[in-house]
Amino acid sequence: MKAVLNLIAYLGALAKLSAQTLAAFIRPPWELRSLIYQLDSSGIGSWSITVLTAIFTGMVLALQFSSGLKDYGASMYTGKLVSLGIVRELGPVLTALLVGGRVGSGFAAELGSMAVTEQIDAIRALGADPVKKLVAPRVIACMIALPLLTVLADLIGCFGGMIITVQEVGVTPRFFYSQVVETLGIVDLLHGLGKSVFFGYTIGITGCFVGMNTTGGTEGVGLSTTKAVVASAIGVLVSDFLLTKLFIALYG
Amino acid sequence: MMPTDPTPSPYDQDPIISFSNVKKAFGPKVIYEDCTLDIYPGETITIIGGSGTGKSVTLKMLIGLLSADSGSIKAFGTEVTHLAEPKLLPIRRRVAMLFQGAALFDSLTVAQNIKYPLREHRWGNEKKLDERVAEVLEMVGLPGSQNLKPSALSGGMRKRVGLARAIAIEPEVILYDEPTTGLDPINVRRINGLILSLQKKLNVTSIVVTHDMDACFTFTDRIALLHNRRFSFVGTQDEARASPDRYLQEFIAGGKGTLDEDVE
Repeated sequence: MKAVLNLIAYLGALAKLSAQTLAAFIRPPWELRSLIYQLDSSGIGSWSITVLTAIFTGMVLALQFSSGLKDYGASMYTGKLVSLGIVRELGPVLTALLVGGRVGSGFAAELGSMAVTEQIDAIRALGADPVKKLVAPRVIACMIALPLLTVLADLIGCFGGMIITVQEVGVTPRFFYSQVVETLGIVDLLHGLGKSVFFGYTIGITGCFVGMNTTGGTEGVGLSTTKAVVASAIGVLVSDFLLTKLFIALYG
Repeated sequence: MMPTDPTPSPYDQDPIISFSNVKKAFGPKVIYEDCTLDIYPGETITIIGGSGTGKSVTLKMLIGLLSADSGSIKAFGTEVTHLAEPKLLPIRRRVAMLFQGAALFDSLTVAQNIKYPLREHRWGNEKKLDERVAEVLEMVGLPGSQNLKPSALSGGMRKRVGLARAIAIEPEVILYDEPTTGLDPINVRRINGLILSLQKKLNVTSIVVTHDMDACFTFTDRIALLHNRRFSFVGTQDEARASPDRYLQEFIAGGKGTLDEDVE
Protein backbone atom coordinates (compact mmCIF):
# COMPACT_ATOMS: atom_id res chain seq x y z
CA MET A 1 0.00 0.00 0.00
CA LYS A 2 2.80 2.38 0.96
CA ALA A 3 4.62 1.57 -2.28
CA VAL A 4 1.51 2.50 -4.26
CA LEU A 5 1.17 5.79 -2.38
CA ASN A 6 4.86 6.52 -2.95
CA LEU A 7 4.45 5.84 -6.66
CA ILE A 8 1.46 8.18 -6.84
CA ALA A 9 3.37 10.87 -4.93
CA TYR A 10 6.36 10.41 -7.26
CA LEU A 11 4.23 10.68 -10.39
CA GLY A 12 2.47 13.74 -8.96
CA ALA A 13 5.76 15.48 -8.20
CA LEU A 14 7.04 14.56 -11.68
CA ALA A 15 3.89 16.05 -13.24
CA LYS A 16 4.37 19.24 -11.23
CA LEU A 17 7.97 19.57 -12.36
CA SER A 18 6.85 18.93 -15.95
CA ALA A 19 4.30 21.73 -15.71
CA GLN A 20 6.95 24.10 -14.32
CA THR A 21 9.33 23.09 -17.10
CA LEU A 22 6.67 23.75 -19.71
CA ALA A 23 5.95 27.14 -18.14
CA ALA A 24 9.67 27.96 -18.16
CA PHE A 25 9.89 26.88 -21.80
CA ILE A 26 6.96 29.04 -22.88
CA ARG A 27 8.01 32.19 -21.06
CA PRO A 28 11.10 34.02 -22.33
CA PRO A 29 13.93 34.74 -21.69
CA TRP A 30 15.22 31.32 -22.71
CA GLU A 31 18.47 29.90 -21.52
CA LEU A 32 19.76 29.38 -25.06
CA ARG A 33 23.43 29.16 -24.13
CA SER A 34 22.65 26.46 -21.60
CA LEU A 35 20.44 24.61 -24.10
CA ILE A 36 23.21 24.56 -26.72
CA TYR A 37 25.71 23.35 -24.12
CA GLN A 38 23.35 20.52 -23.11
CA LEU A 39 22.66 19.58 -26.74
CA ASP A 40 26.38 19.24 -27.24
CA SER A 41 27.20 17.31 -24.06
CA SER A 42 24.08 15.13 -23.89
CA GLY A 43 23.27 14.79 -27.60
CA ILE A 44 26.45 14.93 -29.62
CA GLY A 45 28.34 13.36 -26.73
CA SER A 46 26.10 10.28 -26.99
CA TRP A 47 26.69 9.50 -30.68
CA SER A 48 29.36 6.87 -30.07
CA ILE A 49 27.33 4.69 -27.70
CA THR A 50 24.36 5.07 -30.03
CA VAL A 51 26.38 3.84 -33.02
CA LEU A 52 27.85 0.95 -31.05
CA THR A 53 24.48 -0.17 -29.71
CA ALA A 54 22.79 0.13 -33.10
CA ILE A 55 25.37 -1.73 -35.18
CA PHE A 56 25.43 -4.72 -32.85
CA THR A 57 21.66 -4.79 -32.53
CA GLY A 58 21.29 -4.78 -36.31
CA MET A 59 23.87 -7.53 -36.70
CA VAL A 60 22.33 -9.74 -34.01
CA LEU A 61 18.84 -9.30 -35.41
CA ALA A 62 20.11 -10.30 -38.85
CA LEU A 63 21.79 -13.40 -37.41
CA GLN A 64 18.66 -14.46 -35.54
CA PHE A 65 16.19 -13.83 -38.35
CA SER A 66 18.34 -15.35 -41.09
CA SER A 67 18.76 -18.60 -39.17
CA GLY A 68 15.15 -18.62 -37.97
CA LEU A 69 13.72 -17.98 -41.46
CA LYS A 70 15.94 -20.65 -43.04
CA ASP A 71 13.52 -23.38 -41.88
CA TYR A 72 10.80 -21.80 -44.00
CA GLY A 73 13.15 -21.05 -46.86
CA ALA A 74 12.48 -17.38 -46.37
CA SER A 75 15.84 -16.12 -45.14
CA MET A 76 16.15 -13.77 -48.11
CA TYR A 77 13.45 -11.66 -46.45
CA THR A 78 15.66 -11.00 -43.41
CA GLY A 79 16.03 -7.36 -44.47
CA LYS A 80 12.30 -6.71 -44.09
CA LEU A 81 12.17 -7.95 -40.52
CA VAL A 82 15.46 -6.40 -39.42
CA SER A 83 14.58 -2.94 -40.71
CA LEU A 84 11.07 -3.05 -39.29
CA GLY A 85 12.31 -4.23 -35.89
CA ILE A 86 15.00 -1.57 -35.73
CA VAL A 87 13.03 1.41 -36.95
CA ARG A 88 9.82 0.75 -35.05
CA GLU A 89 11.16 -0.67 -31.83
CA LEU A 90 14.79 -1.40 -31.06
CA GLY A 91 16.32 1.78 -32.50
CA PRO A 92 14.32 4.16 -30.30
CA VAL A 93 14.15 1.93 -27.20
CA LEU A 94 17.76 0.77 -26.99
CA THR A 95 19.01 4.28 -27.77
CA ALA A 96 16.79 5.64 -25.00
CA LEU A 97 17.98 3.02 -22.51
CA LEU A 98 21.66 3.62 -23.26
CA VAL A 99 21.43 7.41 -23.48
CA GLY A 100 19.22 7.35 -20.39
CA GLY A 101 21.96 5.56 -18.50
CA ARG A 102 24.62 7.96 -19.69
CA VAL A 103 22.75 11.27 -19.59
CA GLY A 104 20.19 10.64 -16.84
CA SER A 105 22.85 9.60 -14.36
CA GLY A 106 24.88 12.67 -15.32
CA PHE A 107 21.93 14.99 -14.65
CA ALA A 108 21.18 13.30 -11.33
CA ALA A 109 24.81 13.50 -10.20
CA GLU A 110 25.27 17.10 -11.28
CA LEU A 111 22.01 18.48 -9.89
CA GLY A 112 22.33 16.19 -6.86
CA SER A 113 25.73 17.68 -5.99
CA MET A 114 24.27 21.15 -6.45
CA ALA A 115 21.36 20.27 -4.16
CA VAL A 116 23.48 18.92 -1.30
CA THR A 117 25.87 21.89 -1.45
CA GLU A 118 22.87 24.28 -1.32
CA GLN A 119 23.61 25.65 -4.80
CA ILE A 120 20.01 25.09 -5.87
CA ASP A 121 18.81 26.99 -2.79
CA ALA A 122 21.36 29.67 -3.71
CA ILE A 123 19.90 30.02 -7.22
CA ARG A 124 16.49 30.64 -5.69
CA ALA A 125 17.87 32.94 -3.00
CA LEU A 126 19.64 35.02 -5.66
CA GLY A 127 16.35 35.59 -7.43
CA ALA A 128 16.46 33.00 -10.21
CA ASP A 129 14.35 29.94 -10.98
CA PRO A 130 16.24 26.62 -10.87
CA VAL A 131 13.65 24.98 -13.16
CA LYS A 132 14.31 27.61 -15.81
CA LYS A 133 18.07 27.64 -15.29
CA LEU A 134 18.74 23.92 -14.88
CA VAL A 135 15.79 21.69 -15.70
CA ALA A 136 14.26 23.23 -18.85
CA PRO A 137 17.49 23.33 -20.91
CA ARG A 138 18.28 19.70 -20.01
CA VAL A 139 14.81 18.32 -20.71
CA ILE A 140 14.47 20.20 -24.00
CA ALA A 141 17.97 19.18 -25.10
CA CYS A 142 17.00 15.52 -24.51
CA MET A 143 13.75 15.92 -26.43
CA ILE A 144 15.66 17.34 -29.41
CA ALA A 145 18.65 15.01 -29.21
CA LEU A 146 16.89 11.67 -28.77
CA PRO A 147 14.98 11.66 -32.11
CA LEU A 148 18.15 12.70 -33.93
CA LEU A 149 20.15 9.95 -32.24
CA THR A 150 17.33 7.54 -33.09
CA VAL A 151 17.62 8.41 -36.80
CA LEU A 152 21.33 7.68 -36.52
CA ALA A 153 20.59 4.40 -34.75
CA ASP A 154 18.05 3.42 -37.46
CA LEU A 155 20.60 4.01 -40.22
CA ILE A 156 23.47 2.27 -38.49
CA GLY A 157 21.24 -0.61 -37.33
CA CYS A 158 20.04 -1.31 -40.86
CA PHE A 159 23.61 -1.05 -42.08
CA GLY A 160 24.74 -3.65 -39.50
CA GLY A 161 21.83 -5.87 -40.54
CA MET A 162 22.89 -5.55 -44.16
CA ILE A 163 26.48 -6.63 -43.51
CA ILE A 164 25.37 -9.82 -41.78
CA THR A 165 22.52 -10.61 -44.17
CA VAL A 166 24.83 -10.24 -47.16
CA GLN A 167 27.31 -12.60 -45.52
CA GLU A 168 24.97 -15.18 -44.05
CA VAL A 169 22.19 -15.33 -46.63
CA GLY A 170 24.15 -14.30 -49.69
CA VAL A 171 21.82 -11.55 -50.97
CA THR A 172 23.31 -8.48 -52.60
CA PRO A 173 23.43 -5.17 -50.70
CA ARG A 174 21.18 -3.70 -53.40
CA PHE A 175 18.53 -6.41 -52.79
CA PHE A 176 18.71 -5.77 -49.02
CA TYR A 177 18.33 -2.03 -49.63
CA SER A 178 15.34 -2.45 -51.92
CA GLN A 179 13.63 -4.66 -49.33
CA VAL A 180 14.20 -2.06 -46.63
CA VAL A 181 12.81 0.74 -48.78
CA GLU A 182 9.86 -1.42 -49.83
CA THR A 183 9.01 -2.38 -46.26
CA LEU A 184 9.38 0.88 -44.39
CA GLY A 185 6.75 3.56 -44.69
CA ILE A 186 6.83 7.06 -43.26
CA VAL A 187 4.44 5.84 -40.55
CA ASP A 188 7.04 3.36 -39.30
CA LEU A 189 9.66 6.08 -39.05
CA LEU A 190 7.32 8.50 -37.30
CA HIS A 191 6.17 5.73 -34.97
CA GLY A 192 9.77 5.33 -33.75
CA LEU A 193 10.64 9.02 -33.72
CA GLY A 194 7.43 10.00 -31.93
CA LYS A 195 8.28 7.58 -29.16
CA SER A 196 11.84 8.85 -28.95
CA VAL A 197 10.70 12.45 -28.30
CA PHE A 198 8.74 11.14 -25.36
CA PHE A 199 11.66 8.99 -24.20
CA GLY A 200 13.87 12.11 -24.28
CA TYR A 201 11.39 13.87 -22.04
CA THR A 202 11.27 10.87 -19.67
CA ILE A 203 15.06 10.67 -19.39
CA GLY A 204 15.50 14.42 -18.88
CA ILE A 205 12.72 14.97 -16.37
CA THR A 206 13.58 11.86 -14.33
CA GLY A 207 17.30 12.70 -14.07
CA CYS A 208 16.57 16.32 -13.13
CA PHE A 209 13.81 15.45 -10.66
CA VAL A 210 15.86 12.82 -8.84
CA GLY A 211 18.89 15.13 -8.82
CA MET A 212 17.04 18.18 -7.49
CA ASN A 213 15.51 16.14 -4.67
CA THR A 214 18.79 14.67 -3.48
CA THR A 215 19.44 14.74 0.25
CA GLY A 216 22.06 13.15 2.46
CA GLY A 217 25.41 14.43 1.22
CA THR A 218 27.73 12.59 -1.14
CA GLU A 219 26.11 9.25 -0.29
CA GLY A 220 22.80 10.72 -1.40
CA VAL A 221 24.34 11.78 -4.71
CA GLY A 222 25.43 8.20 -5.36
CA LEU A 223 21.99 6.84 -4.53
CA SER A 224 20.34 9.44 -6.74
CA THR A 225 22.51 8.48 -9.69
CA THR A 226 21.47 4.84 -9.41
CA LYS A 227 17.85 5.77 -8.85
CA ALA A 228 17.79 8.04 -11.91
CA VAL A 229 19.08 5.27 -14.20
CA VAL A 230 16.62 2.68 -12.89
CA ALA A 231 13.66 5.08 -12.89
CA SER A 232 14.34 6.37 -16.39
CA ALA A 233 14.76 2.80 -17.74
CA ILE A 234 11.45 1.77 -16.20
CA GLY A 235 9.86 4.96 -17.52
CA VAL A 236 11.13 4.23 -21.03
CA LEU A 237 9.96 0.60 -21.01
CA VAL A 238 6.50 1.30 -19.60
CA SER A 239 5.87 4.30 -21.81
CA ASP A 240 7.14 2.33 -24.82
CA PHE A 241 4.40 -0.23 -24.31
CA LEU A 242 1.70 2.38 -23.86
CA LEU A 243 2.86 4.52 -26.78
CA THR A 244 3.17 1.50 -29.08
CA LYS A 245 -0.36 0.50 -28.19
CA LEU A 246 -1.51 4.04 -28.92
CA PHE A 247 0.34 4.36 -32.25
CA ILE A 248 -0.89 0.99 -33.46
CA ALA A 249 -4.46 1.93 -32.52
CA LEU A 250 -4.07 5.20 -34.43
CA TYR A 251 -2.14 4.16 -37.54
CA GLY A 252 -1.95 0.39 -37.52
CA MET B 1 13.53 43.08 25.86
CA MET B 2 14.02 46.83 25.21
CA PRO B 3 17.62 47.98 25.66
CA THR B 4 18.00 50.78 28.17
CA ASP B 5 20.84 52.77 26.54
CA PRO B 6 19.84 56.31 25.47
CA THR B 7 21.22 56.10 21.88
CA PRO B 8 18.52 56.02 19.18
CA SER B 9 17.20 52.52 19.29
CA PRO B 10 15.95 50.39 16.42
CA TYR B 11 13.51 48.79 18.84
CA ASP B 12 11.25 51.85 18.83
CA GLN B 13 10.45 51.16 15.18
CA ASP B 14 8.19 48.48 13.79
CA PRO B 15 9.94 45.15 13.28
CA ILE B 16 10.98 44.54 9.65
CA ILE B 17 10.74 40.81 10.09
CA SER B 18 8.45 38.95 12.40
CA PHE B 19 7.81 35.30 13.01
CA SER B 20 4.63 34.55 14.90
CA ASN B 21 3.49 31.14 16.09
CA VAL B 22 5.40 29.42 13.31
CA LYS B 23 5.18 25.67 13.16
CA LYS B 24 7.42 23.52 10.98
CA ALA B 25 7.99 19.79 10.78
CA PHE B 26 9.91 17.53 8.41
CA GLY B 27 7.84 14.37 8.32
CA PRO B 28 7.51 13.18 11.92
CA LYS B 29 10.35 15.44 13.12
CA VAL B 30 8.95 18.66 14.58
CA ILE B 31 11.43 21.55 14.27
CA TYR B 32 9.31 24.43 15.54
CA GLU B 33 6.19 24.22 17.61
CA ASP B 34 5.44 27.82 18.41
CA CYS B 35 8.20 30.06 17.23
CA THR B 36 7.86 33.81 17.69
CA LEU B 37 10.55 36.39 17.03
CA ASP B 38 10.63 40.05 15.97
CA ILE B 39 13.62 41.56 14.22
CA TYR B 40 14.12 45.31 14.09
CA PRO B 41 15.77 47.39 11.36
CA GLY B 42 19.52 47.90 11.74
CA GLU B 43 20.07 45.40 14.54
CA THR B 44 22.26 42.33 14.58
CA ILE B 45 20.60 39.31 16.10
CA THR B 46 22.30 35.98 16.66
CA ILE B 47 20.37 32.74 16.72
CA ILE B 48 22.08 30.11 18.85
CA GLY B 49 21.04 26.56 19.67
CA GLY B 50 22.29 23.00 19.55
CA SER B 51 23.18 21.22 16.34
CA GLY B 52 20.19 19.90 14.44
CA THR B 53 17.66 22.15 16.19
CA GLY B 54 16.85 23.81 12.88
CA LYS B 55 18.50 27.19 13.19
CA SER B 56 19.12 27.39 9.45
CA VAL B 57 15.47 26.53 8.85
CA THR B 58 14.55 29.94 10.31
CA LEU B 59 16.65 31.68 7.67
CA LYS B 60 15.37 29.51 4.84
CA MET B 61 11.73 30.02 5.78
CA LEU B 62 12.27 33.76 5.80
CA ILE B 63 13.21 33.91 2.11
CA GLY B 64 10.78 31.20 1.10
CA LEU B 65 13.28 28.40 0.45
CA LEU B 66 11.23 26.35 2.90
CA SER B 67 7.63 26.99 3.78
CA ALA B 68 6.18 27.03 7.27
CA ASP B 69 3.42 24.55 8.11
CA SER B 70 1.40 27.16 9.97
CA GLY B 71 1.77 30.55 11.62
CA SER B 72 2.91 33.75 9.99
CA ILE B 73 6.24 35.11 8.78
CA LYS B 74 6.25 38.74 7.73
CA ALA B 75 9.09 40.54 5.98
CA PHE B 76 8.74 44.27 5.25
CA GLY B 77 5.06 43.96 6.03
CA THR B 78 4.48 41.21 3.44
CA GLU B 79 3.30 37.77 4.48
CA VAL B 80 5.96 35.38 3.16
CA THR B 81 4.39 32.04 4.02
CA HIS B 82 2.93 30.30 0.97
CA LEU B 83 3.84 33.16 -1.35
CA ALA B 84 4.24 32.03 -4.96
CA GLU B 85 7.84 31.91 -6.21
CA PRO B 86 7.68 35.00 -8.51
CA LYS B 87 6.17 37.08 -5.71
CA LEU B 88 9.11 36.21 -3.46
CA LEU B 89 11.49 38.03 -5.82
CA PRO B 90 11.08 41.49 -4.24
CA ILE B 91 11.82 39.96 -0.82
CA ARG B 92 14.89 38.16 -2.13
CA ARG B 93 16.07 41.44 -3.64
CA ARG B 94 16.14 42.93 -0.14
CA VAL B 95 17.23 39.91 1.88
CA ALA B 96 20.51 38.18 0.95
CA MET B 97 21.82 34.95 2.40
CA LEU B 98 25.32 33.66 2.99
CA PHE B 99 25.05 29.87 2.86
CA GLN B 100 26.91 27.55 5.20
CA GLY B 101 29.24 26.16 2.51
CA ALA B 102 29.11 29.45 0.56
CA ALA B 103 27.17 27.59 -2.21
CA LEU B 104 29.23 29.15 -4.99
CA PHE B 105 28.44 27.86 -8.48
CA ASP B 106 31.35 25.56 -9.35
CA SER B 107 31.02 26.04 -13.09
CA LEU B 108 31.28 29.83 -12.91
CA THR B 109 34.21 32.13 -12.07
CA VAL B 110 34.21 34.38 -9.01
CA ALA B 111 33.12 37.36 -11.12
CA GLN B 112 30.31 35.38 -12.80
CA ASN B 113 29.14 34.17 -9.41
CA ILE B 114 28.86 37.73 -8.13
CA LYS B 115 27.18 38.92 -11.34
CA TYR B 116 24.52 36.21 -11.05
CA PRO B 117 22.18 38.05 -8.64
CA LEU B 118 23.01 41.37 -10.30
CA ARG B 119 21.81 40.04 -13.67
CA GLU B 120 18.68 38.49 -12.16
CA HIS B 121 17.75 41.77 -10.55
CA ARG B 122 18.73 43.81 -13.65
CA TRP B 123 21.47 45.85 -12.03
CA GLY B 124 22.73 47.47 -15.23
CA ASN B 125 25.02 47.03 -18.21
CA GLU B 126 28.16 44.90 -18.30
CA LYS B 127 30.42 47.83 -17.35
CA LYS B 128 28.34 48.56 -14.26
CA LEU B 129 28.42 44.88 -13.31
CA ASP B 130 32.23 44.77 -13.60
CA GLU B 131 32.50 47.87 -11.42
CA ARG B 132 30.21 46.39 -8.80
CA VAL B 133 32.13 43.09 -8.78
CA ALA B 134 35.43 44.92 -8.23
CA GLU B 135 33.83 47.02 -5.51
CA VAL B 136 32.43 44.12 -3.47
CA LEU B 137 35.59 42.01 -3.88
CA GLU B 138 37.53 44.96 -2.50
CA MET B 139 35.13 45.09 0.46
CA VAL B 140 35.72 41.43 1.36
CA GLY B 141 39.47 41.77 0.87
CA LEU B 142 39.83 39.71 -2.32
CA PRO B 143 40.58 42.29 -5.03
CA GLY B 144 41.70 40.86 -8.38
CA SER B 145 40.27 37.38 -7.85
CA GLN B 146 37.59 37.86 -10.55
CA ASN B 147 38.75 35.11 -12.88
CA LEU B 148 39.41 32.35 -10.35
CA LYS B 149 37.17 29.28 -10.22
CA PRO B 150 35.66 28.39 -6.80
CA SER B 151 37.63 25.12 -6.81
CA ALA B 152 40.84 27.17 -6.63
CA LEU B 153 39.73 28.97 -3.46
CA SER B 154 40.27 28.03 0.19
CA GLY B 155 37.30 27.61 2.56
CA GLY B 156 37.73 31.09 3.99
CA MET B 157 38.04 32.67 0.56
CA ARG B 158 34.91 30.85 -0.64
CA LYS B 159 32.98 32.27 2.33
CA ARG B 160 34.21 35.74 1.51
CA VAL B 161 33.24 35.40 -2.16
CA GLY B 162 29.86 34.10 -0.97
CA LEU B 163 29.56 37.20 1.18
CA ALA B 164 30.55 39.42 -1.76
CA ARG B 165 27.83 37.75 -3.86
CA ALA B 166 25.30 38.27 -1.05
CA ILE B 167 26.04 41.99 -0.58
CA ALA B 168 26.35 42.75 -4.31
CA ILE B 169 22.68 43.73 -4.71
CA GLU B 170 22.86 46.00 -1.62
CA PRO B 171 20.44 44.02 0.52
CA GLU B 172 18.79 45.53 3.57
CA VAL B 173 18.97 42.29 5.51
CA ILE B 174 21.79 39.74 5.42
CA LEU B 175 21.30 36.21 6.72
CA TYR B 176 24.46 34.42 7.78
CA ASP B 177 24.23 30.63 8.08
CA GLU B 178 27.13 29.55 10.29
CA PRO B 179 29.55 32.01 8.68
CA THR B 180 32.64 30.79 10.55
CA THR B 181 32.02 27.05 10.99
CA GLY B 182 34.99 24.97 9.87
CA LEU B 183 37.37 27.90 9.36
CA ASP B 184 40.77 28.47 10.95
CA PRO B 185 41.05 31.16 13.69
CA ILE B 186 42.48 33.79 11.34
CA ASN B 187 39.64 33.38 8.88
CA VAL B 188 37.11 33.30 11.73
CA ARG B 189 38.41 36.69 12.88
CA ARG B 190 38.39 38.03 9.35
CA ILE B 191 34.79 36.94 8.66
CA ASN B 192 33.58 38.27 12.01
CA GLY B 193 35.36 41.54 11.26
CA LEU B 194 33.58 41.67 7.92
CA ILE B 195 30.18 41.10 9.50
CA LEU B 196 30.87 43.91 11.94
CA SER B 197 32.16 46.33 9.30
CA LEU B 198 29.30 45.62 6.89
CA GLN B 199 26.94 46.27 9.72
CA LYS B 200 28.60 49.65 10.41
CA LYS B 201 29.20 50.71 6.78
CA LEU B 202 25.96 49.60 5.18
CA ASN B 203 23.71 49.73 8.24
CA VAL B 204 22.16 46.41 7.28
CA THR B 205 20.08 44.23 9.54
CA SER B 206 21.94 41.00 10.20
CA ILE B 207 20.62 37.65 11.33
CA VAL B 208 23.46 35.32 12.23
CA VAL B 209 23.15 31.62 12.96
CA THR B 210 26.24 30.41 14.78
CA HIS B 211 27.78 28.15 17.42
CA ASP B 212 30.65 30.55 18.00
CA MET B 213 29.76 32.34 21.26
CA ASP B 214 32.94 34.47 21.34
CA ALA B 215 32.16 35.87 17.92
CA CYS B 216 28.54 36.29 18.84
CA PHE B 217 29.42 38.56 21.75
CA THR B 218 31.70 40.73 19.58
CA PHE B 219 29.03 41.82 17.14
CA THR B 220 25.55 40.96 18.27
CA ASP B 221 22.92 43.31 19.67
CA ARG B 222 20.55 40.58 20.71
CA ILE B 223 20.67 36.83 21.16
CA ALA B 224 17.87 34.36 20.47
CA LEU B 225 18.20 30.85 21.85
CA LEU B 226 16.44 28.05 20.02
CA HIS B 227 15.61 25.34 22.50
CA ASN B 228 12.75 22.85 22.80
CA ARG B 229 11.34 23.82 19.39
CA ARG B 230 10.88 27.50 20.27
CA PHE B 231 12.87 30.63 21.01
CA SER B 232 13.18 30.11 24.75
CA PHE B 233 15.19 33.27 25.26
CA VAL B 234 15.43 36.50 23.26
CA GLY B 235 17.33 39.47 24.68
CA THR B 236 20.44 41.66 24.73
CA GLN B 237 23.90 40.45 25.68
CA ASP B 238 23.50 41.79 29.22
CA GLU B 239 20.11 40.21 29.59
CA ALA B 240 21.55 36.93 28.34
CA ARG B 241 24.33 37.00 30.93
CA ALA B 242 21.85 37.81 33.69
CA SER B 243 19.27 35.27 32.64
CA PRO B 244 18.50 32.42 35.04
CA ASP B 245 17.94 30.06 32.07
CA ARG B 246 20.29 27.16 32.79
CA TYR B 247 20.53 25.95 29.21
CA LEU B 248 21.38 29.47 28.04
CA GLN B 249 24.08 29.82 30.70
CA GLU B 250 25.59 26.52 29.61
CA PHE B 251 25.62 27.80 26.05
CA ILE B 252 27.28 31.06 27.02
CA ALA B 253 29.88 29.36 29.18
CA GLY B 254 30.70 27.13 26.24
CA GLY B 255 31.89 23.56 26.56
CA LYS B 256 33.62 24.19 29.90
CA GLY B 257 30.56 24.58 32.09
CA THR B 258 28.91 21.43 30.84
CA LEU B 259 32.11 19.40 31.14
CA ASP B 260 32.62 20.44 34.79
CA GLU B 261 29.09 19.46 35.60
CA ASP B 262 29.52 16.16 33.81
CA VAL B 263 32.63 15.46 35.91
CA GLU B 264 30.80 16.29 39.14
